Amino acid sequence: MIRSLLKRTATAALLSTSLLSAGAVGAETITIAQNFDPQTLWPNGTTASDNLNAGSAIVESLFWQNPATGGIEPLLATAVEMVSPTEALLTLREGVSFTNGEPMNADAVVHSTEIFMDEEQTPAYARVSDLFGTVEKIDDLTVRITLTDTYPAFMLALSQISVVPPAYWEEVGLEAYGQNPIGTGPFVFESWVRDDRLIMSANANYWGETPAGITELVWRPVPEDTARLAGLQTGEFQIVKDLPVSSIPVLENESSITLVTVPSYRIYQIGLASQEQYESPLQDVAVRQALNYAIDSQLIIDALFFGRAIPLNGQVLREPQPGFNTDLDDYGYDPDRARAMLAEAGYPDGFEIDFKCPSGRYAQDREVCEAVAGMLADVGVTANLILLEPGEFLRQLRTMELAPMYYVGLAPQDDPGFQASQYLSDWRYSPIANGDMDALITAGATEADPEARAQIYRDLMALMHEQAPIVFLYGGVDIYGTDARLTGFQPRGDGRMFFYNVALAE
Amino acid sequence: MLRYTVRRIILTIPVILGILVISFMLTRLSGDPTDLILPPDAPDSAREAFRRVNGLDQPLISQFFTFAINIFRGDFGNSLRFHEPALSLVMERMGATLELAIAAMTIAILVGIPTGVVAAYMRNTPVDISVRGVSLLGQAMPSFYLGILSIIIFAVWLRWFPSGGRGTWLHLVLPATTLSFQLVALIARVTRSCMLDVLGQDYIRTARAKGLSERRVVWLHALRNAFIPVLTVIGLQVGFLLGGVIVTETVFSWPGVGRLAVQAIYARDFPVVQTVVFLFAMIFVIVNLIVDLLYAAIDPRIGYR
Repeated sequence: MIRSLLKRTATAALLSTSLLSAGAVGAETITIAQNFDPQTLWPNGTTASDNLNAGSAIVESLFWQNPATGGIEPLLATAVEMVSPTEALLTLREGVSFTNGEPMNADAVVHSTEIFMDEEQTPAYARVSDLFGTVEKIDDLTVRITLTDTYPAFMLALSQISVVPPAYWEEVGLEAYGQNPIGTGPFVFESWVRDDRLIMSANANYWGETPAGITELVWRPVPEDTARLAGLQTGEFQIVKDLPVSSIPVLENESSITLVTVPSYRIYQIGLASQEQYESPLQDVAVRQALNYAIDSQLIIDALFFGRAIPLNGQVLREPQPGFNTDLDDYGYDPDRARAMLAEAGYPDGFEIDFKCPSGRYAQDREVCEAVAGMLADVGVTANLILLEPGEFLRQLRTMELAPMYYVGLAPQDDPGFQASQYLSDWRYSPIANGDMDALITAGATEADPEARAQIYRDLMALMHEQAPIVFLYGGVDIYGTDARLTGFQPRGDGRMFFYNVALAE
Repeated sequence: MLRYTVRRIILTIPVILGILVISFMLTRLSGDPTDLILPPDAPDSAREAFRRVNGLDQPLISQFFTFAINIFRGDFGNSLRFHEPALSLVMERMGATLELAIAAMTIAILVGIPTGVVAAYMRNTPVDISVRGVSLLGQAMPSFYLGILSIIIFAVWLRWFPSGGRGTWLHLVLPATTLSFQLVALIARVTRSCMLDVLGQDYIRTARAKGLSERRVVWLHALRNAFIPVLTVIGLQVGFLLGGVIVTETVFSWPGVGRLAVQAIYARDFPVVQTVVFLFAMIFVIVNLIVDLLYAAIDPRIGYR
């Protein structure tokens, strides 16, 4: 035991030294700095974007959601035919092999889908695979998936099934697979010194097009914001994820760096819990609306996010999503109206309320909460700000101990159904119990016709706007910096980045 | 001497048991890791599955006994995030942390002691006053601030050193000097005050009177006598150093145990936190034992029966 540990320690030390003493990375190496080192390179092991970004360069899924088009496009599967609302036939791409020589076929896809459906192995994806019933092989390139109910977000679920080689998986097991994965992707695993650098080389036999001009990817975990920014400025990193907002003015004028800002899937809001059990003035809808008038979300966007955060237009769906209601707009900042509404609701002198807020979970979270508390004070509402450590904050979110009032950024999967279901009466952290909203949310979850479904969500957004279970604050923004020679780099709003269509100019 | 050593080693056993209990209880008090590891909208069945697979559904007392018994077999449990033995994860990174800590301690000793001696010898001169000023600054400045400042100056502006990571000696310079800065200041201050004490003693006057060179008087006779308190401080500062690597490793992306610990704490990865606390505590206990034993080597008047 001890000996093997010592050996491992020595190997890690030697490897890290030799890698660097080999000299600076070559011109065709792309070094990517993210916050964290991946825990596993098996994409279905977690939902953390830093893991998925690295892992999916090696292990591919059946489809992918292309951030440039917003559409779900073929990867290892080329087509889906819905034989009935609950039965799908997948056609797989012909002639694709894993880099160990195993064929990518129906056996591999059935095996991978079964893992995806197993809560013990993929607990983080349980909500996405909830409606999966059975999966079976029809022939070498056809797989049938049956669902337990109509599932409008089925394509989105298919884009998250990572296909692994069954024989290798059986040989090494889940954990070892995540440390040394074999896939079909544009890159192949080379070496990994934990917490230091993960190296991948271009897959010479890739079935598609490998990124032009890039022969090697080096993933570096750099937890400190300033250090990621510094490495970008010195040319040590070619792609940097999660830059701080304060880096925008620093980088805007650097010609060798491209600043890429992406509207995040994360919707920031102030929960105004109104259910019976959370007794507070927020049970009155007029009070909840008044608070929406009392908060100047545009000022928060301009002052704390350099104007880069996204106004919500008074709803939780984002503009590209089906169900986004173009008739709605933000409440708008109107403190006089807020005061009048509060007075009419029986609170002429305002009221006092606890306001819970995470500290260190979201960009500028504390500052946003302080600004909100200040604006509420202007209309007579005394918000007692309670700052929570991120872990404790998440626990209180799950048990809804955050009620009655709290600041949160929710980033569900990119489908209106996932977004809407967070406001269902019996959802564990819903701030509202409203029968009409429930009816629309339930209808939307199983409506197969896309237009009818979009209409359901448009109606839901209008009702939600009126019911104001939250203060609609802003949509987040993710900030990336890249070497200006890099083209086609388009990250997604969930922190995911891909190397399809990316190239490095000379 | 041998009996003393054995007695000291036996005395560390209750300390270690205490550490086991405290590290176990403190991590549990921080809450349920399921909240942090699974997405907030994960269904209850998936949360239960996660808890069952990782043994978090067992009663606390039985979790403790499993943990304590396994430790004696060298098994610290599997990381909740990495699904790998926690001990391997920590040992894999221990080389990097020791490299950084030893480099910082070496710098601290090589710079701190001579600076303190010179300051004491040139008491109340501009040299002494500036040493005292810089030491005060060094002790007051938080290391994360110093680290960020040195990245901006030496990596971004001057481009002398890389901004972070591990590899050649160049990568070591910024984190090691940052980590050593407070130690240099402390060692210099303690050395200075001890030297001032010693330089006023009769035996120094005697040494001078018998015609020894001033260099010999200061660096041999005085420093050797001033060294015991300095050694104590150095021994105690190993604890500070192990705490300091946590911040320094994070700022400089140094792939060591400290950074692993920070991430494990934030994610409530209990087995990893427990392993790090246990090993760091062991290092601290061992270093203090060595310091105690070194006293005898330095000062022959100290004997152990």
